Amino acid sequence: MTTPLLEIKNLHASVEGNEILKGVSLTVNEGEVHSIMGPNGSGKSTLACVLAGHEAYEVTEGEMYFMGQDLTELDADQRACAGVFLAFQYPVEIPGVSTKFFLKAAVNAMRKYRGEDELDAMDFLDLVEEKAESVSLNTDLLDRGVNEGFSGGEKKRAEIFQMAMLDPKLCVLDETDSGLDIDALKIVSDGVNKLRDAGRGFVVITHYQRLLDHIVPDFVHVLMDGKIIKSGGKELALELEAGGYVAFENCGTECCCG
Amino acid sequence: MTTMTFNNTCFEKLHKSEAWMYTNVSALAKTEFAFATTFVDESIIREYDIAPANPLIVLINGKLHEEASRLCDGVTVNANHALQGSVASRGDSEIPSVECDTITIENAGKQTIHILQFVSGECPTAASGRVLIHASDHEEVSVAETHVCLGEETHLFMPLTEIVAGKEAKVTLVRAIRGSKTAYQLGQLHVCQEDSSNVQTHTITLAGKCSRHEVFAYLDGEHIESNFDGMYMLGDNQHVDNHLRVEHNKPRCNSREFYKGILDGNAKSVFTGRIYVEEGAVETDAMQTNQNIVLSDDANAISRPQLEIYNDDVACTHGATTGEIDEEAKLYLRSRGIPADSAETLLMYAFLNESLEDLADDEFRRALTGELLSTMPGGDFIRTL
Repeated sequence: MTTPLLEIKNLHASVEGNEILKGVSLTVNEGEVHSIMGPNGSGKSTLACVLAGHEAYEVTEGEMYFMGQDLTELDADQRACAGVFLAFQYPVEIPGVSTKFFLKAAVNAMRKYRGEDELDAMDFLDLVEEKAESVSLNTDLLDRGVNEGFSGGEKKRAEIFQMAMLDPKLCVLDETDSGLDIDALKIVSDGVNKLRDAGRGFVVITHYQRLLDHIVPDFVHVLMDGKIIKSGGKELALELEAGGYVAFENCGTECCCG
Repeated sequence: MTTMTFNNTCFEKLHKSEAWMYTNVSALAKTEFAFATTFVDESIIREYDIAPANPLIVLINGKLHEEASRLCDGVTVNANHALQGSVASRGDSEIPSVECDTITIENAGKQTIHILQFVSGECPTAASGRVLIHASDHEEVSVAETHVCLGEETHLFMPLTEIVAGKEAKVTLVRAIRGSKTAYQLGQLHVCQEDSSNVQTHTITLAGKCSRHEVFAYLDGEHIESNFDGMYMLGDNQHVDNHLRVEHNKPRCNSREFYKGILDGNAKSVFTGRIYVEEGAVETDAMQTNQNIVLSDDANAISRPQLEIYNDDVACTHGATTGEIDEEAKLYLRSRGIPADSAETLLMYAFLNESLEDLADDEFRRALTGELLSTMPGGDFIRTL
């Protein structure tokens, strides 16, 4: 049996003493796309932050493994180098350094971590051109400050562009669809779909079903009050869309609704 | 030996006045200063000669060093230049001066004229330096000044620069304080602008024990654009005081003061940005910003944005922020594989580079970025990118 890409067991996590995740279990294998859906405040973004290694979130109980490696033992940057990528819901703006400059630092930090030679300027720019095209991102934007003055759609496309540049094993997308119009949603989804392959896994966190029309998941999980209360195939998302989260509100683990 | 009109007892009580309350230079009153002319090694001059293809004026302790200079049309150097009737006489600076040569740059065109002023001596040495920049109507002048105190002595440099910009004239001035961390620099910049002129100045402090940069600007015409920018990066036992007064005397002018810096150790920065809007100077748009990152508990940033407005039709904004390195931004960089210490360096660099990016002169920007990175903890990491 192969080691799962991501294995989360009974994960509890708190921020400032408030428990947000109350026993999440999830297994993602290579090549699978898992969607986590849930209402506001259910803990979706917390799960993303905990996976990425945000220091404000404290894991109080449970385990999480990435390719068999205990994630809690790795700092945020080590997790990234190991192959975990988080596309942020609200990417930070950093005036004063361009996206190209910053990504060169990131790409080379990862290559160094893996014991590979750093990319030279030419190879790096070739990679930038190629990956920017895959998300229809105007490369002029990459000479501006990181995310500085980007529109909502440009920020999300830039996140997917970064994901393509860094070539992670596990991609966590935190509400990548928020703030996107239909056209931008399609471009971002196409970019993500191009990255789908047998060796990569995805955790797609979203509030709405519409993203899943474009990025079709293999599994859908409903997260409520810090726990996954129901898991199923892609049809579960449609069920949610029809009945709303309210229909699941009284579900326990023994629930047989739907 | 030159003669001097300089009396250092004036420094004794300066900090008791409101304008100097956060900058105490009383130690200068007890220092015995020499005023001798001296010699600076050619290799040192070459080190700071960052644009060998451009005109260069080298002054050592306020005296022209002709052999090391590359003079050009539009540049004259006089032994004396009376302060009377000059723009400087309009301000109320209390900084004294020592007799020195005066450099006059007039309508020199787009090429950047570099000025390199050294203060050097085997004992504490005081010197002044005078630069008069004059752009007639529709003319353009670009000047890059580098001020370097050499050695470990408590030198005192008192540079005085004046800018006169005629109608639709454009003047760019960048000034960098480099070299010793034991010297005092008390500088004045006086700016007078006519209709539709554009003046951009940038003052960068990377050295010195105590630096005070005074800016007095008189916007005497309409539709004037003025930018007064500044940047600093200081560590233990370093102090900078940026003290500005911008007078909007006529309608429809825009001015911006934008100062930012990083303070480590027990470094201290003071920013006082006074905007004065005269009665009748309607549609004035003035902005003042001071941003600081403090890296240690002992560092101290004092911001004093001030507005003095005598009519209703103005838009004046001011903002000051002082804080640590942004943790959210740091996490963002780390989530892309950049280690924590490199992420901090990158954020510090980004913060200051936002100010350096605006420098029009490539050589100057490159030289200063280099100096910045050699001072910044972990700066070598940025060089590899």
